[in-house]
Amino acid sequence: MSSELYQQLLATTTGLLLLTAVLQVWGRSTVRAIGLLVIQGTALAGLVLTVGVQAGEAAAPLVAGLLFVVKALVMPWVMLRSARLIGVTRERSARLRPAVELIGAAGLTLLAYAVSGPILGDTTDPATRAVPVGVSLVLLGFWQLLIRGSAITQLVGFLMLDNGIAAISSLTSGGLPLVVELGATLDVLLVVLILGALVVRMQAEEGHIDISELRELHD
Amino acid sequence: MTALEVPTHLVDAGLIAQLLLGALAVLVAVAAPARLRSVLTGSVVVLAGIAAAVTGSAALVGAVGVGLQIPVVLPLAAPLEPLVLAPDRLGGLFMALAGVVVALAALFGIGYAHGPAASRTGWTAFSVFAVGMQLVPAATDAITFLLAWELMAGGSTALLLADHASREPVRRSTVWYSVMTHLSFLFLLAGFGVLAAASGGTSWASISGAALTGTPATTAFVLLVAGFATKAGLVPVHVWLPRAHPEAPSHMSAAMSAAMVKMGVYGLLLLTLRLLPTGPRWWSIVLIALGTVSALYGILQASVQADLKQLLAYSTTENLGLITTAIGVGLLLRDSGQPAVADVALVAALLLAVSHAAFKSVLFLGAGSVLQATGERDLDLLGGLAARMPWTSGAFGVGALGAAALPVTGGFVAEWVLLQALIHVGAQADRLLAIVIPITMGIVALTIGLGLLTFVKAYGIGFLARPRTPAAAQAHEAGPAMRSALVLGAVLVVGLGLAPGPLTQALAGAVSAGGVATFGVTGLSLEAVGVVLHPVALTLLAVAVLVPLVAVNAVLARRHPRRDVTLAWGCGGERTSPRMEYNATSYSEPLVRVFRGSLQASHVVDVVHHDQSPLLVEQMTYTQETGDVIEHRLYQPATRLAARIGDLARTVQNGSIHRYVGFSFAALVLVLVVVAL
Repeated sequence: MSSELYQQLLATTTGLLLLTAVLQVWGRSTVRAIGLLVIQGTALAGLVLTVGVQAGEAAAPLVAGLLFVVKALVMPWVMLRSARLIGVTRERSARLRPAVELIGAAGLTLLAYAVSGPILGDTTDPATRAVPVGVSLVLLGFWQLLIRGSAITQLVGFLMLDNGIAAISSLTSGGLPLVVELGATLDVLLVVLILGALVVRMQAEEGHIDISELRELHD
Repeated sequence: MTALEVPTHLVDAGLIAQLLLGALAVLVAVAAPARLRSVLTGSVVVLAGIAAAVTGSAALVGAVGVGLQIPVVLPLAAPLEPLVLAPDRLGGLFMALAGVVVALAALFGIGYAHGPAASRTGWTAFSVFAVGMQLVPAATDAITFLLAWELMAGGSTALLLADHASREPVRRSTVWYSVMTHLSFLFLLAGFGVLAAASGGTSWASISGAALTGTPATTAFVLLVAGFATKAGLVPVHVWLPRAHPEAPSHMSAAMSAAMVKMGVYGLLLLTLRLLPTGPRWWSIVLIALGTVSALYGILQASVQADLKQLLAYSTTENLGLITTAIGVGLLLRDSGQPAVADVALVAALLLAVSHAAFKSVLFLGAGSVLQATGERDLDLLGGLAARMPWTSGAFGVGALGAAALPVTGGFVAEWVLLQALIHVGAQADRLLAIVIPITMGIVALTIGLGLLTFVKAYGIGFLARPRTPAAAQAHEAGPAMRSALVLGAVLVVGLGLAPGPLTQALAGAVSAGGVATFGVTGLSLEAVGVVLHPVALTLLAVAVLVPLVAVNAVLARRHPRRDVTLAWGCGGERTSPRMEYNATSYSEPLVRVFRGSLQASHVVDVVHHDQSPLLVEQMTYTQETGDVIEHRLYQPATRLAARIGDLARTVQNGSIHRYVGFSFAALVLVLVVVAL
């Protein structure tokens, strides 16, 4: 792979990651959020493939394939199925005004770039220079967890956070070994499967899936 | 040292047999139909116990294998030394002890286990507990030790919970037990951590090879003693013991009280004799203080308990206290240039451990048999069982003799040896010895006296006289499996008492003590202090004295046959009714009066007057309650403090998930900013 192509691919995939993350914060439709997650999963798989091939990892296509299947196909499908089952397609309540949400997201992206510089130091490696995207993903995922009430969008935020971590680790270490990626991905898959079932159950028991109203267990 | 080689040594084969039998027991417990589960699983566990007894005995007399390396799937041992099971002589003793107790308890459990204790979970837990406990003394390094230790702790906790659905106290005592068990584990983990860090290895060989002194040694000593004392049920960390033992199924109580707490003793011996043998003098004083306080406090509480199993549990604290005292005295004397007497004290500690294992198994199993027959543990509600349950009461009687340290039992031999060691200390030159030894001797003597009183009460009130309740009156003898376990245990108690010589000699080898030999075939000679005990000869002598007395009595009885006498002014009334008998509370009342302060005794006399006249009394109720002063003064303030801190923490955690996420988020941002600055 030529250096130019590599940089192009890197820029495309990380750009897609950042774009989908910001778009997540904007908008209330659950189906759209899940759709964005599919794009994000695909971009992440592409990023891992790019970095892995560049670093000469033999298992890179395998890892990328695994990520694509789990993050862009299986998880969104499970979440979409849960959402369809309970008939919730829009976020019901707003915790903050949309403008505040977007300003917060912008501020966090800036923060990610601001703190990543000193941490990474001077570097010319294009992959390392893209690390702030991963940090933004983590912070935006957290932001999503904070500002959203519905269990499904919470899950979306959690997955975004996980995507961010995966992106950082892939960018800094030049591709992760298959066993580590396998462990981390399957963990998250388990969480999604369990929560997918739990959401359906919540709707059946409580009539809503707003986690901020779940106060029964607070003692 | 590979796991796959065919073992050619008895010890290795025995270890493999124990592991396989343990796995088989779990398999059978899960797969066998409910009808056969107790018989099949119980039998396999009995076999595992016997395997441990054989392996341990072989190791005790000096057999060594090449060691059994634990194949670890996870890279657990990668940075450390290999995990190897290979019991030394001391470990062999404790493995054999655990094995015999497990075999007896499992045999008893075949007939006794019912309900939740006989469930899949119940028997699985018992099997895991048994094998874990048997392997604790086989460990040759800290990791293996802690692994086996946790198997033992986990299995016992699960089985303790057996009856949780039907009885509330079970839940509470399990909470206490798990907290204290975890505390013990944490202390051990920290202690071994200190040792490993200071010596650069986790195996016993590398720790003892480093000959640690100074701060690391002292820190490790304090932490490990705290951990082992918690498991051994010593004061002030005994609080789990009088709760857990009564609530566990009785075969489990027996295994816990007779064998599991001994692992604490094994730990103390391992620590002071092998890992850190050159500690300063105050270490032994700490052990003596722990031991004497536990012994006295334990027997004092035991003597006023009316609950049979609680009485036995407190008596365990007493016995473990005596063992710890003996270890402390042994170490102190080794340090004071009196190795010969020190050896006798250490042998006494092991003898006390062995004899306590034997008689406490019998006592707890007997209590289980009583519980099954009557549904009662309260001595005030029992009585008259000797006629209705002859096997049980016979065995319990032998066990009580052992616990009271009366002759022809192992208990007598053990306490005799301890007293011999204390008496023969040459304390003239050493001021510390001149103070410590007489005080210790006084406390040991008082403990032995109170022990006698306690077990006269346990047997006399529970088994003799007339039944105090219909439940006691309708008691029936236990089934064959339970009976045989009881009889075997009683035979062991008497066997240890009649032929202590060979065992004592083997025990002396375990702590590399000289000056102990057999006298004749069965007798015991403490050459170090120049005394001899020959129980068989003593017994023959006693019989020779008794036979003429009995004969004369019999002749007299025939000459003057007994006449039925009616009460002169009894108006046809009976001489005694069960309500007029002494019961457990009234028997110990004088003692409660003397030790009112430390027993926190309070009593209420409730008088109900007749409707017609205040001068006529219709009913009187006397209620006496005793408390655990250490629990009130030490644990309750601590738990109250923890609760208050918890309340404060509740203002931070209000149940809102968003708030928690917010905390993590704020922390993350803060860390990022701090790192970046």
